[in-house]
Amino acid sequence: MTLDRVVWTMLQEARGIYQDSPRATAWLRAQAERYAEPVRIAVAGRSHIGKTTVVNALIGDEFTPQSSFVWYRGGTGPRAHVFSGPSRPHEVAIGRRGARHHVETGQFDRADRIVVEWPARTLRDVVLIDTPSDASPEQVLGDADAVLYLMRHVQDDDLRFLQSAHDHPIARTAAVHTVAVLARADEIGGGRIDALSSAKQIARRYRRDAAVQPLCQNVVSVAGLLAVAARTLREDEFQALRALASLGREELEDHLLSADRFAGERFPLPMDPAVRQALLERFGIFGVRLVTALVRQGFDSQVKLTGQLVQRSGLGELRDSIAVHFTERREVLKARSALLALDVLLRMEPRQAARKLVADLERVVASAHDFRELRLVAAVQSGRTKLPAELQTEALRLVGAEGTAPAVRLGFEYEADQRELREALLDALVRWQAQAADVHASHDHRRAAQVVVRTCEGLLPQFP
Amino acid sequence: MAPPWLDVLDETIGACVTHRRPDLEARLREKRAQQLDPKLRVLVVGESKQGKSQLVNALLNAPVCAVGDDVTTTVPTYVQHAETPSAALVRNASANGSIFHTPTERIAVPIEQVTRQASAQSQHVVRAEIGIPRALLDNGLVLIDTPGVGDTRSAHTAGTFATLIQADAVLLVSDATGELTTAEMALLKKVMEACPNVTVVVTKIDLVPSWRAVVERNRALLARAGVPAKLIPVSSALRLRAAKTGDQRLNTESGFPELLACVQRDIVASADLLARRAVAVVASSAITQLVTPLREELTAHDSSHTSATISTLQEAQRRVDELRRRSARWQNVLNDEMADLISDVEYDLRDRTRRILREVEKTYDEADPAIGWEKFEQWLEDNLNEAATTNFAWLMERAEWVAAKVARNFPVYREDLIPGSVLPDDLLEPASKLEKPKIEPFSVPQKVFTGLRGSYGGVLMFGLVTSLAGMPLINVISLGAGALFGGKSIMDESDQRLKRRQAAAKAAAQRHVDDFFVKASKDVRDSGRQIQRSLRNHFSTLAEELQETLMESARSAKRAVQDDQTERERRMREGRKELDKLVTLYKRVQALGGPTMELSA
Repeated sequence: MTLDRVVWTMLQEARGIYQDSPRATAWLRAQAERYAEPVRIAVAGRSHIGKTTVVNALIGDEFTPQSSFVWYRGGTGPRAHVFSGPSRPHEVAIGRRGARHHVETGQFDRADRIVVEWPARTLRDVVLIDTPSDASPEQVLGDADAVLYLMRHVQDDDLRFLQSAHDHPIARTAAVHTVAVLARADEIGGGRIDALSSAKQIARRYRRDAAVQPLCQNVVSVAGLLAVAARTLREDEFQALRALASLGREELEDHLLSADRFAGERFPLPMDPAVRQALLERFGIFGVRLVTALVRQGFDSQVKLTGQLVQRSGLGELRDSIAVHFTERREVLKARSALLALDVLLRMEPRQAARKLVADLERVVASAHDFRELRLVAAVQSGRTKLPAELQTEALRLVGAEGTAPAVRLGFEYEADQRELREALLDALVRWQAQAADVHASHDHRRAAQVVVRTCEGLLPQFP
Repeated sequence: MAPPWLDVLDETIGACVTHRRPDLEARLREKRAQQLDPKLRVLVVGESKQGKSQLVNALLNAPVCAVGDDVTTTVPTYVQHAETPSAALVRNASANGSIFHTPTERIAVPIEQVTRQASAQSQHVVRAEIGIPRALLDNGLVLIDTPGVGDTRSAHTAGTFATLIQADAVLLVSDATGELTTAEMALLKKVMEACPNVTVVVTKIDLVPSWRAVVERNRALLARAGVPAKLIPVSSALRLRAAKTGDQRLNTESGFPELLACVQRDIVASADLLARRAVAVVASSAITQLVTPLREELTAHDSSHTSATISTLQEAQRRVDELRRRSARWQNVLNDEMADLISDVEYDLRDRTRRILREVEKTYDEADPAIGWEKFEQWLEDNLNEAATTNFAWLMERAEWVAAKVARNFPVYREDLIPGSVLPDDLLEPASKLEKPKIEPFSVPQKVFTGLRGSYGGVLMFGLVTSLAGMPLINVISLGAGALFGGKSIMDESDQRLKRRQAAAKAAAQRHVDDFFVKASKDVRDSGRQIQRSLRNHFSTLAEELQETLMESARSAKRAVQDDQTERERRMREGRKELDKLVTLYKRVQALGGPTMELSA
């Protein structure tokens, strides 16, 4: 039985056992609903780090920031509900503030959460949760299956947050749910034109950093402002930017030295200061520099520019990361959340009848192959298990550190046919069986090889 | 003439010595040495990636400190005046310890490579020193660029705090992309404790359109926290560009003229004021630390010193109670065990003797006691002795076990807890001699007589019958019958005698064994009771000794508590005097012009 079936059965069993407890029943019902939902991703980080900006960039629409948890989920039409206290949710209107959408929470300014249904493609596969910066790690992690953690540079506070996500023993056995994001990548490079590639390099360094690596699956850099602007670029803005780009390079550079200069009086173009101010707010001084440079380089249509900006801002990479680490691993993430929830319930309300469930829970956590794969990934990445370099890369790939699709696991970068995949798989299987039986290798080495062999065996039925 | 603050500082150092706080003393001495040094150290601190190194570069209009997008500065970098540009790394032989008092070595390096080399060997390098000819640094100003605070590599942070104590003034750098974070406010407070001359520099205002709002919010934050620090917004990028192009207007826009003026006016020109303020802060923090434990001791009546003796007293009393409670237990154990023991041993003895008796009976069902009685007697004696010995050995063994068990239930463990010999020396007196059963021998005349008596009846019986047939009374037939009858009577008689002898032998054995049993069981009981008594004596002696010891320690603890009372009063008086002295000193420190902190006597 696959992991998600097993966990689903356990949830049902628990519902049978706890029939008489209304609290437990409500809890389990919520978990069962959550089990069927898309992956919930919380966007967390310090204040003013750009959480709402990243959420907006992912959705492709701009919403004003709120002071409570905001859930964005897919829907046929735009609707918003406010959940406050034990009372029933209130439907509220979604209005506009300038170019942004605004949820008219009105009197519910301290709502528990606001749920926005929004027709966006991104929201088909995920539910995004924008968190307030004063939320504790428990609050953030309680409802989410996965976390995008935003930071500038990895600082002690940030590491503490990420560590607290691993406090629970079940969470530790399946450390699978965090992608760290170096937000404000444009500022990391001091606003220089190459700031974004510099930020990417830093992200790469953190990916290999021993303190960061075990705490998250990936580190990517994103220039949030630019990403939002790319997704919501308007015609008038594009025209204004084109007009700017038409200025001489030297002259423009001079006026792009500082935000004050750009928005100031002595601007060579007959352009309304309000327009320039708006551009600054939307793109930032770095954004204006980059966009004008890009337009000059030949990305002079809105479509070309948008594509280029999505790529450069790191949004593309962020989306890929979400796909590889969260959406593709939906079953594992959901199973993990459900197991955590079951564990909470079994400990809060211990019962004689639930003894079997406790044992099942332990068994699943200890033996589910998906979790074993994840543990191996964590062990190899943190350096607890050491493999020779080339084997390590292959092992990580095969157990799905880079993606769980068979072709990705087998390291094909092109569309390979069934026969090729099967041969590559058999090849890998034989090689790793040899590794697993290698008497000269260390114990850890052989254990790791056994996990890889099991993964290969599991893939085999897909290629008859 | 020594400046007035020097006296106060020296007195504070003296106070630290009297109160045995070498840590504070070392800190103050460092401060003293540094204040006497004509150099003015301006520390540039802040979280990582706020633009600290760039600020130093922009202040000097020279790329002396390396800047980079990733964490760049790993050791404090001292930038000071020199006729020709030069650079050096200062390495530390022993890794831990204060920067001042450990032997260091200087390695000259090319100025362009100083940061790179420092990062490469940051394990050993204490600081980098750069000399550069600049008018700003002319009058002894030293700019210290520090590694970012709060970085994951905590060694950086430690380095920053180590330099903090040497600072005359601090520039706290925070960039304009966000207002001061809680971590930065905490850092600011920490800095204020060591050095009150803090200026908050908001950098990167060229990047942020709304930097004015950020500056306003920061001002509000500082005001709310009650931090009297100046706040200056600057842009290093604009300043460096202005230096390159010689654009005065840009220079003004960068905000640096104001910062430089501030540095000149507030830091360089008022070095003495700074010194006084810095000394006041450090000294008052030291005095506060001295006063706190003193006051705690004065206020808390059950302070640490007496609480120890009181807890000793309580412990002693607790142990006395414990001993009483547990002595009942060991007595019970002893009584129960001994009763069990005696009944068990008696039963064992009975069992053994009965087995012997059964053996005897079996033997004399067959054998004739007349033959080999001596041998039998010997056998019986041996068997009974063996039974008694085994039984007694068992008694001893069980008695020792009981002693051990009682010892286990005894409240404390001692070497001599289990008595060496509590067992009676000799309990096996030989039991009464076995009395030989009466044996009736069957002698020849008796046999003849019995034979004749039997044959008489036979002769007469058959003689009468045959006389009817006309034969004489004594004839062949009657004589034959007489002989037959005589033989049978002899046989019968000897059989009966054997039975009688056997019965007598059995009875004699029975009696003997009974006697033996009565005697032996009496002995067993006696020795059991004797053992019990000696064990009881042994253990109660021990318990009494123990109780006496505990009582004594309880009494001495009580005395200690009472003694403490007077001792404490004396200490209180002394403490109050000390406290008064410190408070006076504190007031003098305050008069130097430090920030006002509350310190009530």
